[in-house]
Amino acid sequence: MTHRSNDDIRKHFEDLLDEVRRGAVELGSLVLENTRRASEALLENRLDLARAAKEADDEIDRKYVDLEQRVFEILARQQPVAGDLRFCVSITRVLYEIERSGDLAVNVARGLLRRDGYQMPPHIHGLMARACRGAAELFQASIDTLADLDATAAVRLDEADDEVDDVVGELYAVIGKASDQIGFDVAVELSRVGRYMERIADHAVNIAEHVTFIVTGAFPEERSPAVEDEG
Amino acid sequence: MQGERESMGDEHLTEASDPADEASTKSHHAVSVSVGAAAESRQRASGDAEDQDIVFDIEHLNVYYGDFLAVSDASLQIRENEITALIGPSGCGKTTVLRCLDRMNDLIESARVEGSIKYHGVDIYGDGVDPVEVRRHIGMVFQKPNPFPKSIYDNIAFGPRIAGFKGDMDGLVEESLRRAVLFDEVKDKLNDPANALSGGQQQRLCIARAIATNPDVVLMDEPCSALDPIATLRIEELMLELKQDYTIVIVTHNMQQAARVSDRTAFFTVDMSRGGQRTGVLVEYDDTGIIFTKPSQKATEDYITGRFG
Repeated sequence: MTHRSNDDIRKHFEDLLDEVRRGAVELGSLVLENTRRASEALLENRLDLARAAKEADDEIDRKYVDLEQRVFEILARQQPVAGDLRFCVSITRVLYEIERSGDLAVNVARGLLRRDGYQMPPHIHGLMARACRGAAELFQASIDTLADLDATAAVRLDEADDEVDDVVGELYAVIGKASDQIGFDVAVELSRVGRYMERIADHAVNIAEHVTFIVTGAFPEERSPAVEDEG
Repeated sequence: MQGERESMGDEHLTEASDPADEASTKSHHAVSVSVGAAAESRQRASGDAEDQDIVFDIEHLNVYYGDFLAVSDASLQIRENEITALIGPSGCGKTTVLRCLDRMNDLIESARVEGSIKYHGVDIYGDGVDPVEVRRHIGMVFQKPNPFPKSIYDNIAFGPRIAGFKGDMDGLVEESLRRAVLFDEVKDKLNDPANALSGGQQQRLCIARAIATNPDVVLMDEPCSALDPIATLRIEELMLELKQDYTIVIVTHNMQQAARVSDRTAFFTVDMSRGGQRTGVLVEYDDTGIIFTKPSQKATEDYITGRFG
């Protein structure tokens, strides 16, 4: 857990916490995989992958509910305090951030299936690919942060998030200019996909910030993710 | 209720000190007055300056039993109308510190205290301070309910009688039992033996007995460890009510209890660095909310999360 010390006086308890942390990392990996799957479906017009992404979300949801239930039970039965309490409360938020990211990936797949694929002009396609890659990289980094309980990563991820925001901003501008060519409806939908990627990157930053809180008891520079979350 | 009690309290405080002091030595008289005056000036000035709400100022406290150093260099301040919890593993000195606050350690011949414990600014270990007078302001409740083998009524009336209280004893008994949230359960059997009560009721009787002499502070040494969970919660609820009028210091092995009821928590541990001697040291003292969410010392975290103990 957050720390190990002395003998294993509460080995059973520590195992329970560790199972939750490892479960959250697994859940994150599933969501990461699904984000990449949905991105590939989007960029390659692979409807089969889009369908697979949609289906994969069921397992993600099941795992999410199961992990959250376990944390409730630990709170009720073990009455954790201090670092253990911070872990239990914050991990439920981390789980939520992960699960929401999974839903956003599914949204990408759903849009694609509704349209039977998008025909993106090359410059839009290029920016979209960068946005997808940026979001996935950030999400990967956030899951690594959780696996290692790395309190220092949040600042780095926050900077990387600015780059994703810039790419998506550029994407909006390009889509806006091309809306006559690609059609208004498609322009709106592609903008939304960009927005989903930007949000996945935001969730990744939040996860890293929760990890900082779990480890140190404070958010980076006392900035609470909940406050700036919806930016 | 507060005003009513104060006037009643003042009356029997005054009555209590006069006849008792008459019979005693001059230095006793002088010190009684100074401890009493300190408590009174507190009442007048309560809520004023920040310093005024410190009931005990403990500085560099060392406690020895013979050559054995039981507590080393503990410094902490206990604030008025707060519940302060002392926690830590067996042998950490928490009970020793508690027993210094009303000079109960005087009863152990080999016990010796260094440093200072100021009670409202008066050093209670100062020259010529009478421990009996100190204990008049500081009540104690013990681990095992220990009612006198007398009636419920006489258990409460005992202390005030000894202190020379000559007011409305029935009223005082009722008031004390009410404050301990016991009156309704015993009002029809005040002359029954106290030992016939349940453990939880006996402990509330002991609390009623402690507050009947109108103390300023109530010390509690693991007051719930012999009680079942519901009786425990009743005592905890009672403590939260009593802290409106009293300052409470509690020693507890039950960390959830410290977390539930106390305003501040002091964590003591055993230091073995003095040639294998087990010396109690204060590790961390802070708001209970901080101690149980973000303690600053790893030793505190290890103890309260159950990794060490």
